[in-house]
Amino acid sequence: MTSGSSTALERRETRLAWRLMVPALGLLALVAAAPLVATGWESLHRHDVRLPWLGRPFVGFANYRQAFHDDRFVTALEHTVVFTAVSVTLELSFGLAFALALDALARGRAVARVVLLLPWALPTVVAALVWRFLFEGQSGIVNATLVWSGLAPREWLAGSFSAWVPIVFGDVWKSTPFVALLLLAGLQGIDASLYEAARLDGAGSWLRFVEITLPLLRPALVVALAFRALDAFRVFDLVYVLTGGGPGAATEVVSLYAFTTLLQDLQFGYASALAMLVFLMSFMLALFCIPRLRVSVAPDR
Amino acid sequence: MMLVTACSLMPLAACASRADVLTFSGSAVGSEGAVVRRQLERFAASHPALPVQIRVTPDAADQRHQLYVQWLNAWTPDPDVLQLDVIWAPEFAAAGWIQPLDGFDQSANDTDFFSAPLRASRWLGHLYAIPWFVDVGMLYWRTDLLAAPPATFDALVAASRDAIANHRVAEGFVWEGARYEGLVAVFLEHLAGFGGRILDDDGRVAVDTPEAIRALTFMRRSIDDVRVVPASVLTWQEEQARFAFQNGRALFMRNWPYAASLMRQPAESAVAGRFAVAALPRDAGSSMPAPGSSDRLLGGSALGGSVLAINARSRHPDAAWAVVRYLTDPEQMLERARVVGQLPTRRSLYDGDRLGGLLPIAPAEARRLIDRAIPRPVTPIYTQLSGILQIHLHRALTHQEEPGSALSHAANDMRRALAAAGLPGGEL
Repeated sequence: MTSGSSTALERRETRLAWRLMVPALGLLALVAAAPLVATGWESLHRHDVRLPWLGRPFVGFANYRQAFHDDRFVTALEHTVVFTAVSVTLELSFGLAFALALDALARGRAVARVVLLLPWALPTVVAALVWRFLFEGQSGIVNATLVWSGLAPREWLAGSFSAWVPIVFGDVWKSTPFVALLLLAGLQGIDASLYEAARLDGAGSWLRFVEITLPLLRPALVVALAFRALDAFRVFDLVYVLTGGGPGAATEVVSLYAFTTLLQDLQFGYASALAMLVFLMSFMLALFCIPRLRVSVAPDR
Repeated sequence: MMLVTACSLMPLAACASRADVLTFSGSAVGSEGAVVRRQLERFAASHPALPVQIRVTPDAADQRHQLYVQWLNAWTPDPDVLQLDVIWAPEFAAAGWIQPLDGFDQSANDTDFFSAPLRASRWLGHLYAIPWFVDVGMLYWRTDLLAAPPATFDALVAASRDAIANHRVAEGFVWEGARYEGLVAVFLEHLAGFGGRILDDDGRVAVDTPEAIRALTFMRRSIDDVRVVPASVLTWQEEQARFAFQNGRALFMRNWPYAASLMRQPAESAVAGRFAVAALPRDAGSSMPAPGSSDRLLGGSALGGSVLAINARSRHPDAAWAVVRYLTDPEQMLERARVVGQLPTRRSLYDGDRLGGLLPIAPAEARRLIDRAIPRPVTPIYTQLSGILQIHLHRALTHQEEPGSALSHAANDMRRALAAAGLPGGEL
């Protein structure tokens, strides 16, 4: 009797919970799922806005097959992966260094935090324009500095390798503060008595860092890694403003290629397939990261 | 549809009662914006029934293209009148975004226009736009440092090296070499100078011919071998080239006519009164069609410029047509030539003295340049073809690829794009 009423109650509660979640789920479906489904459906068609007489025939996964035979897409994908790996590695390293320095700071931490946040607060497009200004031309500050120190100036944005320098620089400059603050929060959550105990046991600073700080910081590190990797993989504005994907297509990334295919070439079907691929890859990256976010805070050793 | 018809049959006042406005979108900055605003105000004063508004759009061509695509693909009835780059007309016509103009009264138009911009405004036999102004690529040269402009690339290189060696200028020749549409125009002009074309007479892709390879090789060598063109041009658009020439840094510049009127202002320009404009040079060994062999105007200019079109979903097509006719009538064209130095699209305006002193070159010479100017391919997938070409040209110029291989890749990709679109010219 008791158990029966308890299940009825449970069921009622569950039903209520679902009813309460309906608005949120509806909103989610409207703003997230609907555009995704529409893009997915579009990606299964050959749809070229410039050529309306071809109609909009259903072509199955032909657009996806085309993408993997499209040198430009594959190259852009390689660029994106390398960019993500390099800039996220740099951001995590610098971010960790900044966080440790801030954590060690006895006073002025609040001021330092505000200063650190400035690059993060600046809109990316504005920052990219500034970087472009610094790197562009013979009279740009970077080249002027090179000349001043007796080195040869170079056309940064016209070199297939050197054009990456302001892009990676810009991304690291902008996102390191974000990583640093995230890690700082993680550091401040570590119980100081652990360090004290380790010190009493004779552990040096390196050992304390490796055995206490890093393992306990892991959740924060994973969060930072997940956020930054997802963001870097979808990089668009920085590249669009700084190089437009050039020189040639040396700095073209997948988002930029999808954008060009859509708005310049007007191949809506193919562009949708490219957009879906960017989404699916980001999604897989997220799926890979999410289980690793649930790390227990105490080291299980 | 019924509404539109009813509206167009009634006097404009009947439609205006719906509190509508007629909208125009195009360049709205600087003196170009001022002159179009003035002209539209005059138009509105004589057509008080329907207020006219300007929709400001970005001045950078590719950004305006994106904005137009977003508007028109969403079937917005507004803006009614669109300023299009001449290369977009077939694309917008094919997409059904702008309306054929054959149905409107053409008595004031047709015969007087230059044929190339008019051809570029047609798609499948219908007229979709009215040429508003033409642009042709020109060679700007320093009259204080040279007696006459060079007719050949060799002469240009020799004069440049000489002037650089004597420390008269820092750079020889500056042009627009960033990876954007301007690079295609500059390449097309070098190509013409070597006797080549982007598409041949049968509409087949011809950017992998020996002439094309020689043209691109020359462009690359002039940057890093003979060093008369600074490597900075690989990130430059029109304005950066103009600044370099205007500050007296370069002996020659390739640019559109707009630069001339700006550089004549002594307050801003170090070369005011010290430059002139000529036809672009050609390769000495290449045979160019040369009607009237005595004239120097032998190089090829790229044909650019703007056309005016009417939104296919405009609620006021007749009023929009009235605006188009007003803006493209001879008097307004003369005013544009006077204020911003843009070349009119009507041939008859070049007769007599009406344009005298308004253009950077003598009217008769300007007309000859326009008559020989080379249009970019007239196809609905032009922006795609151009995008392909831009990447490979830029790859070759930045030493990521050899000119021959870059052009053969470009040609193959362009043929594939044409074939995929079912358009002629895609045959291998």
